[in-house]
Amino acid sequence: MDFYFGLVQIIGVHTLLGLSAYIVLLTGQVSLAQAGFFAVGAYAAGMLTVLAGWHLVPALGASAVCGAGVACAVGFPALRIKGLMLVIATLAFGEGVRLFFFNFDYQVARGDIKVGPLGGEGFRQIRFFPEHGWTTGEVMLFIWVFVVAAMALLWWFDRSRYGSVLRAVGEDELAAQSVGINLTAVKVSAMTVGGAIAGVGGGIYAHYTTHIEHTSFNILLATFAIAYPIVGGLRNVFGTLLAVIFVQAFLIEGLRFLGDWRNLLFGALIVLAMNLRPSGFLGARRRA
Amino acid sequence: MLDFFQSVSDGVLFGATYALIGIGFTLVFGVMHKLNMAYAAASVGGAYAGLLVLKVMSAAPPVLVFLGAFAAGGVLGWLVYLTCFHFIPLSSPLATLMSTVGMLLLIDEIIVHVTEGMPQNYPAMFDDVMLRAGDFTMRGDLLLVFGVAVLCMVALMLLLYRTRLGLATRAVSQQPVAARLCGIRLEQVNATTFIITGLLGGIAGALIGASVGTLSPLLTTPLTVKGLIVTVIGGLGSVPGAIVAGLLVGGFENVLQLYRGVTERDLYVMLLLFVFLTFRPDGIFAPKGGRD
Repeated sequence: MDFYFGLVQIIGVHTLLGLSAYIVLLTGQVSLAQAGFFAVGAYAAGMLTVLAGWHLVPALGASAVCGAGVACAVGFPALRIKGLMLVIATLAFGEGVRLFFFNFDYQVARGDIKVGPLGGEGFRQIRFFPEHGWTTGEVMLFIWVFVVAAMALLWWFDRSRYGSVLRAVGEDELAAQSVGINLTAVKVSAMTVGGAIAGVGGGIYAHYTTHIEHTSFNILLATFAIAYPIVGGLRNVFGTLLAVIFVQAFLIEGLRFLGDWRNLLFGALIVLAMNLRPSGFLGARRRA
Repeated sequence: MLDFFQSVSDGVLFGATYALIGIGFTLVFGVMHKLNMAYAAASVGGAYAGLLVLKVMSAAPPVLVFLGAFAAGGVLGWLVYLTCFHFIPLSSPLATLMSTVGMLLLIDEIIVHVTEGMPQNYPAMFDDVMLRAGDFTMRGDLLLVFGVAVLCMVALMLLLYRTRLGLATRAVSQQPVAARLCGIRLEQVNATTFIITGLLGGIAGALIGASVGTLSPLLTTPLTVKGLIVTVIGGLGSVPGAIVAGLLVGGFENVLQLYRGVTERDLYVMLLLFVFLTFRPDGIFAPKGGRD
């Protein structure tokens, strides 16, 4: 049973990651920086619970703030350029964050062992859940509270005026600008919300794996982040959830019996899916 | 001071390979206004395929391996076009982006699967030659890399500016609709562009393999990132820009490797990119704005 709980935990964290890319994609921007915000959140939350002895919930709040702050700071220069340039700039930013943590040492003696991030070796001993005696099931429920909250928030955004503004910018920037929408404000705010969600996701990720290192936050994770909403479609948040379940439960766990061939199939299936359904499983919303 | 000039010259010579990869990204962007994320992976894949020559004929000279990589790169370029661009409508830019990322993962995994994850030795030429001027040296294999890369660039420039095919390619990149009205077959030009960039990529992959000494699938991600950075610094769609930026990035990273070590090196390359994005977002040689 713990195996399935673990799988549901992974699906939850990856849904948060996918949702953080979803809101940015709504404005028509492709950001490969989500893995970077995820890493910032992971290290921030981990350092706060391990080194500063905070409880997990305020630590996650802090990692949301860190993720949002970094995303906002990146958003301003990066969003001056658009389209494919942004893909490249955010890709480089994500790699930059990873390389930063590769060189980042901050260790504190705790009893007879030293704890804290140590460059290439990563950050071990993030033991909040075991220390407080949480079972796998409880951790799973805890994670899904955040996932449901994030999905509800984005669902509400979609129903509100803000969501229409986001989609208007995504559909046609020029038309959106001509009706008086401030493009920079919309894009940077979407990036900031996305950064906050990714930060929370990263904070949770750090605590259920108990060990994070820079290689976990590579380009593959960034492509996963944008793959979920693109494969699932931008119609609503459930497309992202569906794509996460498809990738994590079916492609990664369900095809495990294929052994080595599973990895080969993964890339091929994405290529195939994009050829068959260019606008995702659920398709983009078309308004008359 | 000598160390400084030494590392600049080594870096600039190796930067020629970045320039080739950057040209591949830039050409596809210029013609289709799409990003081909699988390009660097396909280039490394082509270099691997070149090694098949050694499997068939174990005493084959390195030149044959290079030619094999060249041809295989072209085939891979065409395959990438067919699987990731041909059938996906132009109106879904996200889908092509995603499918090329899928292709990147697929090529990576095929390489890992076939070689069982082991790095492969790559034959080099002139690696025993060394030009000396006092303590200042130039490695023969790096000079070869640079020479072949320059040759490829000259050939590409001649192709683009002196042939009918090049004229058609430039026409499509400027005004696809007008080009089509003049009777240029869009699909054919697009496919040809992919084959040409694939050929360049195959050579670039082989040159990288030859100068590093080994090929490993770990090369694809850094190459993709560096190639894209070179493309942005040079100006998206500008071939001369990609060449200059490639050499610049090569020299820059080698100097920082000297002073700050190999782990921090790439961090500064990212910073260089952000400096350019902030102060000169259109790159060194921004193409002149089109009519639309």
